[in-house]
Amino acid sequence: MADINARDMTIREINSRVKELVKEGQEVRITDPQARHNLVIGVLQDCKITVDGSVGYLCASLLDGPDVTINGNAGWALGENMMSGRITLTRNAGASVGATLRGGELFVGGDAGARAGISMKGGDLIIRGNSGFLTGYMMQKGRIIICGDVGDAVGDSMYEGEIYVAGNIGSLGSDAKEETPSEDELLRVWETLESFGITERFQFKKVVSAKKLYHFDALERFEKRVV
Amino acid sequence: MCGISGIMHKHAGASGLAPIGEELVRMLDAMKHRGIDSTGITVAGEDSKSDLIVRIWSDPEDDYRARFRAVEESVIAKGGVVKNRQSTDEFLRLNVNYEGDLNALAASLYELPGVTIHSIGQNSEVVKDVGTGLELDDKHGIGTMKGTHGIGHVRLATESRVDITHSHPFWAYPFPDVTVVHNGQLTNYHKMKRQYEDRGHRFQTENDSELIAVYLAEKLAQGAGLEDALFDSLDDLDGSFTYLVSTDQGMGSAKDPLALKPLVLMETDDVVALASEEVALRSVFDEEIERVEPQQNEVMTWLI
Repeated sequence: MADINARDMTIREINSRVKELVKEGQEVRITDPQARHNLVIGVLQDCKITVDGSVGYLCASLLDGPDVTINGNAGWALGENMMSGRITLTRNAGASVGATLRGGELFVGGDAGARAGISMKGGDLIIRGNSGFLTGYMMQKGRIIICGDVGDAVGDSMYEGEIYVAGNIGSLGSDAKEETPSEDELLRVWETLESFGITERFQFKKVVSAKKLYHFDALERFEKRVV
Repeated sequence: MCGISGIMHKHAGASGLAPIGEELVRMLDAMKHRGIDSTGITVAGEDSKSDLIVRIWSDPEDDYRARFRAVEESVIAKGGVVKNRQSTDEFLRLNVNYEGDLNALAASLYELPGVTIHSIGQNSEVVKDVGTGLELDDKHGIGTMKGTHGIGHVRLATESRVDITHSHPFWAYPFPDVTVVHNGQLTNYHKMKRQYEDRGHRFQTENDSELIAVYLAEKLAQGAGLEDALFDSLDDLDGSFTYLVSTDQGMGSAKDPLALKPLVLMETDDVVALASEEVALRSVFDEEIERVEPQQNEVMTWLI
């Protein structure tokens, strides 16, 4: 394992060093991150990276492949636009965690802020605690799994995808509806949780799009239907 | 984008004043990437024993020494006694013994040409200037200021001019000791400002954040509690805002209904610190402690 002490390094130096080390096939540990922004960005290969301490905005973003563990809190937009890989955060995440997530698994050990999983396009976002206002806003694909409560306007304007909530739902967002998940779906959710060491069999509610705001077939005045 | 921060030492005062200035400099310097146009702080809590601290700024292109003489003459004409006078370039700080009507004194200074009042208060004062927190410390020595609590701001100007007068914190003319730092934009600023002007309020700038200070100060002056005033603001202000307010009673925060602007806080039995980013909190708390992120429509207050 290669250690990087972040205290006296610039963000660019830290990220370059991380990429050098993982290219050599090393496992990397970053210490003393001091809640700074943009750490572990754009790593595009299978590797293992641990950050000991809290990170700032947009950390572990634009990833394709890595297994990243952060022992601390994260600021806004953790794991933005991950294509594949696995991010494990032990404590709380700020707003917009997993924004535009495309694939992989993002686990938050504590609570998540507002707009968790905003515009998600795939992958799994798992929140051990509670999740904030506008969770799953404009979500297009993937799963959000919340073991605690969720705030107001969950699933507002979502197109597709599923939001599973074990606790209370503050309120449903515009065009979101609640459904009872099938046994198969519950089994898959429990299986995912087990991979993060959560063995409780929560009875989840499922929130999906009611699709009442779908107007994809509507034509503009000057358009003609050709098919 | 702007950065805001606030800190309170809950038991300071009884056990001596805390290094609020130094802590705010550290926090604001850690967030300087959020705004490099200007920096400003309010430090509150040092009881001036019925004296007023008056902070004045005058345009350096102007004959500011003559402007400062006019300020002192106005104070004396209103029956005030200038006990101490300090100036750094175009910045003036007066310690005034004054027992008359504060509105009358504030109005006489407001009407002086070429002069802006940065703050008038009995236990707080505002220092703001272009540049970073460290530059402010070099020039104005804010790192040595002591108190019980304070708020600070780094500015990236979006809605009004980049100059010293339009930097934060904004003092609520003519209410003593009410100052605000704000991250966001008010969309009903012009409408509300006209309503306030119709009622006789006067503003010193074209900045939307000044309105928040006046809005809160008026409510407090009418007898509302700090928490109630902050809750009312969630309905009355429109736009994006996370703001902090400092008064002689304490400190508070409010966040808009869409949670559009960031804020995190860390609190122990002795200290509470708030900032736009955790990186600023870590400059005050060396150890990792529980971090809380206030959500939409959330109001918090701490009374000293």
